[in-house]
Amino acid sequence: MGAWLDETLTWGHALLFFLWGVILLMIVLGFVTYAIFFERKVIGWMQYRIGPNRVGPWGLLQSVADITKLLIKEDTIPRKADRALFILAPALAYIPAFAVLAVIPYTNKLYFADINVGLLYYVALSGISTIAIILGGWSSNNKYALLGGMRSAAQMISYEVPLVISVVGVVMLSGTLNLRGIGEQQGDWFWEWNFLPQILGFVVFIIAAVSELNRTPFDLPEAESELVAGYHVEYSGFRFAFFMLTEYVYVYAIAALTTVLFLGGWHAPFPFLDWVPGIIWFLLKFTSIVFFLFWIRATLPRIRIDQLMGLGWKVLLPVAILNVFLTAVYMELFIK
Amino acid sequence: MKGLLKGLGVTLQSMTKKKVTTSYPDVPIIMPDRFRGIQHFEPDKCIVCNQCVRICPTECITLTGKANPDPDKKGKVIDTYDINFEICILCDLCTEVCPTEAIVMTGNFELASYSRDDLFKDMKWLDDNNRHVRQDNNNIGAPAAAKGGAK
Repeated sequence: MGAWLDETLTWGHALLFFLWGVILLMIVLGFVTYAIFFERKVIGWMQYRIGPNRVGPWGLLQSVADITKLLIKEDTIPRKADRALFILAPALAYIPAFAVLAVIPYTNKLYFADINVGLLYYVALSGISTIAIILGGWSSNNKYALLGGMRSAAQMISYEVPLVISVVGVVMLSGTLNLRGIGEQQGDWFWEWNFLPQILGFVVFIIAAVSELNRTPFDLPEAESELVAGYHVEYSGFRFAFFMLTEYVYVYAIAALTTVLFLGGWHAPFPFLDWVPGIIWFLLKFTSIVFFLFWIRATLPRIRIDQLMGLGWKVLLPVAILNVFLTAVYMELFIK
Repeated sequence: MKGLLKGLGVTLQSMTKKKVTTSYPDVPIIMPDRFRGIQHFEPDKCIVCNQCVRICPTECITLTGKANPDPDKKGKVIDTYDINFEICILCDLCTEVCPTEAIVMTGNFELASYSRDDLFKDMKWLDDNNRHVRQDNNNIGAPAAAKGGAK
């Protein structure tokens, strides 16, 4: 992959890149399908239930059935909605979610784009989804959708700030914004990975990431037990499916990003385990983060809306900035 | 902070614990003996005393009797006996007043149907509803030793 990226772009290469993009899309869709199934299973087990088990062997086709149902549903657009924006919003939400996956390196050989400002590209693009959510809420011409969109945007913007600042420490230690570079320079032993030297940044990053994903305990914009739906009240059928898809693709993206930034990417935890291929380690770490997201969803209650903004601005942001300064002092004293 | 970790521990442990889910529609649930389910009616025991009709709070029971076909015997025998399960609240009063235990509770509870007409059950249906019949019909509030003396 890396070699092709350096060569001149020909039609043949363009076709090849396109095919790889399609393969990634298929992998991501497969991930989303089974992430939803796995989430329902895990939450079921944690609540003394067994989860979906009726459709297909062990319920494996449950998500397929749900998605089929969504796709063949009637596509309704409210008469007084802003039609163009209403149609645009789900696509606008999904495109950045998929586009950020380009910069994720899976091993030091397997990556789709080797951008020097990969991390910046990630946070910049993921911000666009916020606009799509506002658009979706506003164009529905429904006050509840608008309120939900506003709340969602307020939350995502507030937590975007500590999320970005919490990774500054990692960037300072690595000296690069290239995600492959960041993954590459983390050590061979697991305590040399960024999550221990950057423990403050790691904690802030995880909390802000969960909030950024709009998942429990920060799922106020679409709190299913309190609100009807939030910004996607008026959406149905495949447009609604696109919003759900966006959410789960961001789960994929955040889990992959956490793995690369903090958990050593494709490195084995001990040097003597190096014979196991890097992709296996990456997948292991990736899956455990996804599992962790489901686990806290099954455990923690939703926080209150007035505590939400306070936590973001008064706790996470100062801690993230403190982490930047601590890292700077550490580097000045011990590394320079 | 400690509470958060504790909570995470609880959910993690409950993942492997025994599940409370039953495979109900596939495996029927046997209700406990004192469950108030759909009544079972035995025409042979009925003496047409009309007490169940009078006590029924929703007036869902209708019955008619006829003279005993055996001319040597006094009294009546039951002719029709219907319970309307649209309004029956399964309160157990009819079975409590019945002096001969002609009407008793069972453990069956599946009444759902596509038509309201299906909920009007006649004597034949109630007679055939003879599975999971309540074993002990006199034990309400009575200790085991005093059983049978309360009535």
